[in-house]
Amino acid sequence: MANGILDIETASRLKRFYFRSPSRVRGRKAGIHKSLYKGISPDFLEYKEYNRGDELRQVDWRLYGRHDRLYVKKFEDEVNLAWCILVDSSASMGYGGGDSRKLRYAESLAATLAYLLLRQGDSVGAGSFSGKDLSLMPPRAGNSYIAPILEKLESLAPEGGTALAGPLLKALEVLKQDASFVIISDLLTDESEIEKALQLLKAAKKDAVIFHVLHEDEIDFGFRGPIEFLDMESQEKVIVDADAIRDGYRKRIREFTGRLKLLCHEYESRYVLSPTSRPVEEPLIEIADK
Amino acid sequence: MNFSFLNPLFLIGIAAVALPVIAHLISRKSGVVKKFPAVRFLIASRGDASARSRLKDLLLLLLRALVIVLLVLVFAKPALFTFAPAGSVGPRMLAIIVDNSFSMGYGGNFERAIDKASELIETLPDGSFGLAAPLVALGEGRLSPADGREALRNELRGIKISNTFTDNEKRLEDALAALEGAPGQTKEVVFITDLQKNGWHGGKTAGDWLRIIDVSEEAYPANRAVTGIDAGYGKDAVTLGLSVSNFSDKPQEQLLATVSAGGEDLSAYLDIPPGGTVTNELTIPGEYISGDMTLDKAQDKPSGEDRPALKEGSAAIPKDSLAIDDTRYFVLSDRSDFNVLIVDGDPREDARLSETYYLARAAETISEATGAHITVKDNDSFLVEKLSGYDLLFLANVGDVTEGRAKELGEFAVRGGTAVIFLGERVRASSYNALLKDLLPAELITEVEEETKIVPPPQSIFPEEVGERLSRAAVRKHIKAVPVPGAEVLLGLEDGDPFLIKKSLGKGSVFLVTSTADTSWNNFPITTVFLPVVKGFLDMPGSADEGKRNFVVGDTVPLDVLERTEGTEVISPSGKRYALDTGAALFENASEPGIYTVSESGKDYYKFSVNVDPRESNLAKLEAAPGAPEAPAGKGLVKVYRDIWRYFLWGAVMLFISEAAARAVFS
Repeated sequence: MANGILDIETASRLKRFYFRSPSRVRGRKAGIHKSLYKGISPDFLEYKEYNRGDELRQVDWRLYGRHDRLYVKKFEDEVNLAWCILVDSSASMGYGGGDSRKLRYAESLAATLAYLLLRQGDSVGAGSFSGKDLSLMPPRAGNSYIAPILEKLESLAPEGGTALAGPLLKALEVLKQDASFVIISDLLTDESEIEKALQLLKAAKKDAVIFHVLHEDEIDFGFRGPIEFLDMESQEKVIVDADAIRDGYRKRIREFTGRLKLLCHEYESRYVLSPTSRPVEEPLIEIADK
Repeated sequence: MNFSFLNPLFLIGIAAVALPVIAHLISRKSGVVKKFPAVRFLIASRGDASARSRLKDLLLLLLRALVIVLLVLVFAKPALFTFAPAGSVGPRMLAIIVDNSFSMGYGGNFERAIDKASELIETLPDGSFGLAAPLVALGEGRLSPADGREALRNELRGIKISNTFTDNEKRLEDALAALEGAPGQTKEVVFITDLQKNGWHGGKTAGDWLRIIDVSEEAYPANRAVTGIDAGYGKDAVTLGLSVSNFSDKPQEQLLATVSAGGEDLSAYLDIPPGGTVTNELTIPGEYISGDMTLDKAQDKPSGEDRPALKEGSAAIPKDSLAIDDTRYFVLSDRSDFNVLIVDGDPREDARLSETYYLARAAETISEATGAHITVKDNDSFLVEKLSGYDLLFLANVGDVTEGRAKELGEFAVRGGTAVIFLGERVRASSYNALLKDLLPAELITEVEEETKIVPPPQSIFPEEVGERLSRAAVRKHIKAVPVPGAEVLLGLEDGDPFLIKKSLGKGSVFLVTSTADTSWNNFPITTVFLPVVKGFLDMPGSADEGKRNFVVGDTVPLDVLERTEGTEVISPSGKRYALDTGAALFENASEPGIYTVSESGKDYYKFSVNVDPRESNLAKLEAAPGAPEAPAGKGLVKVYRDIWRYFLWGAVMLFISEAAARAVFS
């Protein structure tokens, strides 16, 4: 357990959930993801205890007759997958305090997901991006890899701006293997930048899950009276009467998230709005196979 | 009407209008600075809200600024001002007395006085306190200060011209006294008058508190007036002494004077020198008096009653600028005699030794001038004499008085007769005290024999020169007397005992002289003051009131009532009827000149006339106004301010409420 960003209890509650790639992947090891290469290695690999969601036709009934337990036969055509979890560590992610701090929430989300992915046999790499910088640990399999991932995530500090396309391009260049991307960010950058990143992912035929992390204040804007706001990235100042603009702001943020959802849908990425007030397990369940 | 500020320095406070703006800016600068990731959405949202917000901010800013401006203006005391004559500035404690004596009817004096008073009221500054009252009160006459111009306007509207001669100074002093209860240090009485000389007693009321405004337009207003009608009764005719005065500096020639009586007009042309009075005798023949023509006695004489018959008429001259005194009314009474009864209690063959010798001589001397009839009776004759035919009764050393006679003496006095009682050897104190208890002004004690002198009291009823000579009268013997309550000692002795005591009884009077009417006890009858004193008895109020038919406006008219006052009423010349109060045979509403009729139980009983006081007809003006002069126009004009800051305060309050409402609406 690494200082609380990985909540074991939450992870335990999610251990029956699997996170599958929606498309076929080029996995080299056995896994739960459908291989891009069908029938290339039909040999029996191992038995796996039956879990809900397993196909019944793969159940070894004879083994069931001997042991009175359900096992499914695993063949080489179900391969593992490499995941690249990218956490936005820009300055804007530093908003909030305690567990509701956006970066903390992103770290927790990333750690839990990494734990679960490693546990289901996938390779997981983790990194962060801030401005145009990218810091990435290449994906590796094995439960023991969770420790360096947690260490990496805990070391993140909010700074710099939010630029999505640049770091993503770097990640695509760095990664030698096929991987699905998980991007955890507040996405407070130009929508064109976001669209550009989604275009890149689609062009590279990468599955992607976008966790859109927002603080409750950013959604509800519960401030009162005249306040001078300082942008955490651009340092731009603005004095507004919070009461006067609340409705307008809420409307704009709703429109923003709505557009992002559409944009992700357009580029075949999955969009999950993840307010920091929402328990970490909820957005994860949203993307899991049930 | 101009606009100004009484405290203009406070206008500096207008700078406070910047406070809301500064407060807004300060709140922005010193307010919460919050780091926030989604500022770009704030900027975008601000654009949406800015239009509404700007409207709200602008409106609130405007309201707040206006509140401040109005509050500053309240402190700066905005005021409207007009220009008014100097001396009329600032809140004033003012009594405005309008001369409404009938001389103000000359030309347009009274109207000008009302206009001037109205002008004064309108230019009174806010906060002024005062009263507006007539010089002659027609009603209650109470002087009560009021607050505000509207109250003064109402009081002014109630002022009407009267027909009365006035005593200016008392009324003005009363007005000043009425202001005593009003706030403010300086009290002021403004008297708007024609400045007629009559009515002032030498300008003794001069003081800072009195300001006189002369509204007459002439230095010496010319006026003619019928100033008197004296009737002389003869056997076959009545002679009317008609007095007409010329109150001007020019002679009046061939002025037609007409006496109208019984449908007949008697005329005369009069030449009157400037400032002079001419008396012309006009004779009404006997047939008009006793015949059956218009002045028939039967018209006025109640049937079956032994009452005097009465006739009335008027004397007039052509109307001039003051018309009210150009006609004078009169009522004739055939009660022409003034009868005096002298009762001698100690008659002697030698008249010079008689008790009433000096008294009779004095009365006869006076009767030559007054036409009084003198009758001398002894004690016995007095006891059977009918007293109702007499006006004045002298009892000199009358020792024998019966109980019935004593009662009749009381009734005689109550009816209006005057009784003068001299004492002497024949008078028994105990008998007098018992029989004349209700009549005597004093209780008789005992004879005192000592040399003493008469000492007039400080407030003597006699003229000053008489008072000085009284001290020469020596009294050797007198009867000590103790005045009864209500009696008045008119003359006293050196030893402190009273010498002459008066007691009013009904409409008449009773006088008691504690010594004799002859020289046996004193030398008073042979002093030079005896005659004036005896004449004084004849002139005493109450003497011969019965039968008096001519009065002046404002007089209290004693009425000859038949039996009771219930059902008796007086009809004024204008037809107004006045019912008499129960038990009061006095008429106090003689405010209108003309012929009044006394009616009992719906039947006319007799008439009396009421005329204006001839003193008021002389319009000669006072040379110098007593008291503070009117603020002259030469001093220029000064600003008279009218505060309007209250309106600004209300405006500020309303705006404050509006501001709160606007905030509620926009939030």
